[in-house]
Amino acid sequence: MLSYVLDRLKSSLVVLFVVSIITFFVLMIIPGNPAQLILGTDATPEAIAELSSAMGLDKPLYQRYLSWLLDLLKLDMGKSYVYGESVTSLIARSIPVTFSIAIFAMTMAVIIAFLFGMLSAIKKNSIIDYFSRSIMQLGTAIPSFWIGMVLIVYFGVKLKILPVSGFVPIERGFAHFIKSIFLPSLVLAIGEVGTLLRIVRSSMLDSLKQDYMDMARVKGLGWGKIYIKYALRGALTAPLTIIGMQLAKLAGGTTVVETIFALPGLGRLVLTAVEHRDIVLLQGLVMFITSTVVFVTLIVDILVMLFNPRIKSFHQGE
Amino acid sequence: MKKNISLILGIILVFIILGIWVLSFVRMPYNPNEMNISNRFLGPGLDRDHVLGTDNFGRDILSRIMYGSRNVLLVALVSVTLGSLVGIFLGALAAILKGPVEKIIMRIMDGLMAFPGILLAMMLVAVLERGIKDSIAAISIFMVPVFSRLVYSMILDTENLLYIKAAKSYGSSKKQIFFKHYIPAMLPRLITQFSSSMGSAVMIETSLSFLGLGIQPPYASWGLMLSESRQFFLNYPYLAVAPGIAIIITILGFNLIGDGLNDILINRGSNHE
Repeated sequence: MLSYVLDRLKSSLVVLFVVSIITFFVLMIIPGNPAQLILGTDATPEAIAELSSAMGLDKPLYQRYLSWLLDLLKLDMGKSYVYGESVTSLIARSIPVTFSIAIFAMTMAVIIAFLFGMLSAIKKNSIIDYFSRSIMQLGTAIPSFWIGMVLIVYFGVKLKILPVSGFVPIERGFAHFIKSIFLPSLVLAIGEVGTLLRIVRSSMLDSLKQDYMDMARVKGLGWGKIYIKYALRGALTAPLTIIGMQLAKLAGGTTVVETIFALPGLGRLVLTAVEHRDIVLLQGLVMFITSTVVFVTLIVDILVMLFNPRIKSFHQGE
Repeated sequence: MKKNISLILGIILVFIILGIWVLSFVRMPYNPNEMNISNRFLGPGLDRDHVLGTDNFGRDILSRIMYGSRNVLLVALVSVTLGSLVGIFLGALAAILKGPVEKIIMRIMDGLMAFPGILLAMMLVAVLERGIKDSIAAISIFMVPVFSRLVYSMILDTENLLYIKAAKSYGSSKKQIFFKHYIPAMLPRLITQFSSSMGSAVMIETSLSFLGLGIQPPYASWGLMLSESRQFFLNYPYLAVAPGIAIIITILGFNLIGDGLNDILINRGSNHE
């Protein structure tokens, strides 16, 4: 088991190393001198040369990469030129916003997906199955920016029961906090629920076909035991992996939803960095987001292994 | 053959969009970029001159939807084609050559897969310009790891099958085996993946243009139409209806075709229905 964890840890670090290379070198090919970008078009050549050497732009590329990587390991991601602030503190400030929405959204998606996924597998080809399969298809086809606009009109403007923009920190009251993240989380949940429901349904269908299910029925167990203790337990591996991937994706900030609801999260920072070509900020954000993704995936893989004795014994046998 | 509702519905939806696309080259009711301030915010109605109404500049929404279909379909088709070709090539290279080539290619693909959602596309747009070519480049690169991982795992699954071993022992070259044996064996999954990827390409393109990082005004694109309608749609909700429905029909159509083909070609109706 320890060897499995170490193995996964090693490959996660390799992925992050590759990502750091991609990020650094892709963003280096941006046309124009970053110093010129910061100083504006009317800067003197001397000023640009001075700032360039201060930023280390005159050094060879691999040296710049190494010093960037070392700083990154010390959590020093440089200074954003748009905000004039350190990237680390900008990210730290956005985390509560993005993480709150991501976690709330996944909670909603998990509840809906498991409820309808299980029912639709148990009552295959019933009305509830057709309904679930419609959610499955529509959930992945409706763009989040469109459903966001629709929800803003109905809940925020027509019914006036929910705020349509901005974020209220949890310290200023739990009810206000939940209200401020409800609509954006709902939009994200709608985007994720289709994929998750599909996996829950198909895993559950597989699980219901297993021999031990016949056993459980023959023994005359109640439906709660049959479906939850036996069928659901056998059907957890794939959904757990998908939940992990989805949570990781949302924790990286979702630019579209944060833009519609004017939330000061990671996704907004990404958009600002892209719009203004703030390379330092974008490098820091990409590294932070991909690290989150890799880390969450790692945790989920380990959890799945703990849940699934087959994987555990497979690795012990090695 | 068993009736396949997903496939039929998907084909109908994609045909609707293709019909709009073809019509946009034949005749559009109005010039999609022609502004007419005295005609702004005309509501939709089948008996009106502007069936889907006009926007804040008095431009005809139906014509803009039709014109926008060209951009969306062009970007999606070209980027999925490019991305899948490069992805298939790299995935096959890794699986067949093995050794360091395999390691390097697959580690790069793992790295690209660590970028969630449209982050990779956004990062590439920061480096490139904003426009059709750049959206295509960004979405193509997004598609590469999807296809290369698929091809890689499929080749690893089939390389020990008897007919491949037989071909090897007959002295067939790697190229021959790839084109004669691997490609036909992989075709069903590749076609299915291609169709679903068309759906995600449409989603990425419209998201990028909604964020102002894709096709630039005054050209019409569905995502851009929605983002332009944001400041007016509280009073004129119809502005957001047509582009939204166009996007949903397109994505739904390609996804349903992907699902339907998956049932027919791969699962053969075994565990999905």
